[in-house]
Amino acid sequence: MKIFKFFITKIFLRKAILSISIILLLFMANYTTFIATRSILSTFQGYQEIKCMNQEGIYIANLDPDSDVDIDAIGENGTQIVYDYLNNNFNYAFYIDGFMVSLPNIDDMEISLSYMNEEYYELNQFELSQGTDLDFDYQFDKDKEIPILIGKGLSKTYPVGSTIKIEDPVLEQPITLIVQGVLKQNAYHSNFYDLNLKKYYNFSIFLPVNAEFIKNANIDLQLMNGLMDIVILQTTKEKTVDLSEVMQDNLGLKFNFFSQEENFDYFNEYYLYSLKIMSITTLILLVIITCLSIWNALVSIRLMLRDFTINLLVGLSYSKLRKIFYSYFGILFFINLIVIFSITAYNRYECWLRKDATLATYGFFGLIGMDWFALLVVFLSDIIIGKIIVENMLRKIKKIPISLGVLQ
Amino acid sequence: MGRSLFRFVDALELCTAYIFCFFLNLLFDYVKTLDLGPYILKAFFKNFMDYQTLIIFLFTFIVIVFHYQMLHRKKTEVYCRILVGDTILNITIRYSLDCLMILGFVYLLSILINVYLNFNLTSNLYLVFIFITYILISARQVRKYENF
Repeated sequence: MKIFKFFITKIFLRKAILSISIILLLFMANYTTFIATRSILSTFQGYQEIKCMNQEGIYIANLDPDSDVDIDAIGENGTQIVYDYLNNNFNYAFYIDGFMVSLPNIDDMEISLSYMNEEYYELNQFELSQGTDLDFDYQFDKDKEIPILIGKGLSKTYPVGSTIKIEDPVLEQPITLIVQGVLKQNAYHSNFYDLNLKKYYNFSIFLPVNAEFIKNANIDLQLMNGLMDIVILQTTKEKTVDLSEVMQDNLGLKFNFFSQEENFDYFNEYYLYSLKIMSITTLILLVIITCLSIWNALVSIRLMLRDFTINLLVGLSYSKLRKIFYSYFGILFFINLIVIFSITAYNRYECWLRKDATLATYGFFGLIGMDWFALLVVFLSDIIIGKIIVENMLRKIKKIPISLGVLQ
Repeated sequence: MGRSLFRFVDALELCTAYIFCFFLNLLFDYVKTLDLGPYILKAFFKNFMDYQTLIIFLFTFIVIVFHYQMLHRKKTEVYCRILVGDTILNITIRYSLDCLMILGFVYLLSILINVYLNFNLTSNLYLVFIFITYILISARQVRKYENF
């Protein structure tokens, strides 16, 4: 310990510029690894989530890019005909979110409302921490309570069994909700087309939607979001072509329906390609930064050679010197890990400061699972980089005779 | 390079450090012009693009390291030159001019590449100012070795 302290204070820190530059280089290596790992993991999580849609017989609606949306030209009658056709001929999964309401809660967050039907709920199999699953067979009546699920952030203010009164933005009337269950902490939904983009449900309310609910909802729910990503279950290509025609006749919008195979090709084309590019870029950056770090370390050896060789002359062994180098780099990596940890924790905390209900998450020191996993990968990459640098430094020192080093 | 503090290897090392920083800046500018396609790629590269100047500035630290170690290694040479009649002013001027010449050569090279790729010619001008500052600071350090 004494010799290590001596090396740190009298050798390494005496040439602080070299230590600072190596910290900066290692920080960039760590930052690159952290960002890449988190992006890849987030995409993988999104891919796992969307995988439930990649089943035979499932077709996903997508508005044709050449189709112009003119809301004023679409009447409620038209959308109702489409929904009647859907209800009579298909099983479909319906989900929309993004409707914000103000609701008193201890964290003073705006609340996001997510509407979904039974098929969507069953397809996604949300895990609950308290209470029971959603009930979709309720009678829609403005005097009756609608059973809901809430996110963890709301569970302190609204425990299971409590009631909530809100002015529903899609029904445009006050409704009463009863809390039936609480979602697991950090339950999320990945964007269908950007798998690494997530919305967290900690401050969300899940509202069960049935045919009667849709009938009473305004056009925002029925068309703008509801039909855009509607998922048709247990059907065939021919039937979706008929549905597309019905939609075109009544809404004036052309919808395409993509099958499991087409979606799978899309995922392969875009996401696997993206993941490959990200991995290759990260690897190239890591190699460049490691080479620069080795150069920096060799420069340090060049300047501190006399100190090292004098110590070797008076009895310091190479294995002890190796241990000192590993400990020194261990400290540098630890400082970097602390910096990355602090930046990530602050970014997560910033979502709470901004009152961003869809990004606020819970976790140990504010970090969620994927952050900890990315930090673990950074730690493992540090071990590899550290080993490469230290072994190169030792090889350089061993190459120079002790007598020559002392004379320098 | 007869009376210069620079040997061929030193000049090559500094040249490589400058080229690396200019190349990095060019790479950032190039990625900006690319249509990255999927959002995931855009989001990934945005993590770096948003901090382009900061990242490049941090990488310029390798040039500081070069100046620092170069002058450290040459302190005996500086002292010996003074012993045989050279002046610290002349040594400092020669050292600065050598650095500026290498910087000028690399900057010219980067301008040519910018013209070829149709990029903004002023996009890497800030690097020149940063490196000139480093040269001026390191030139002051030469004076430190007047007395061995």
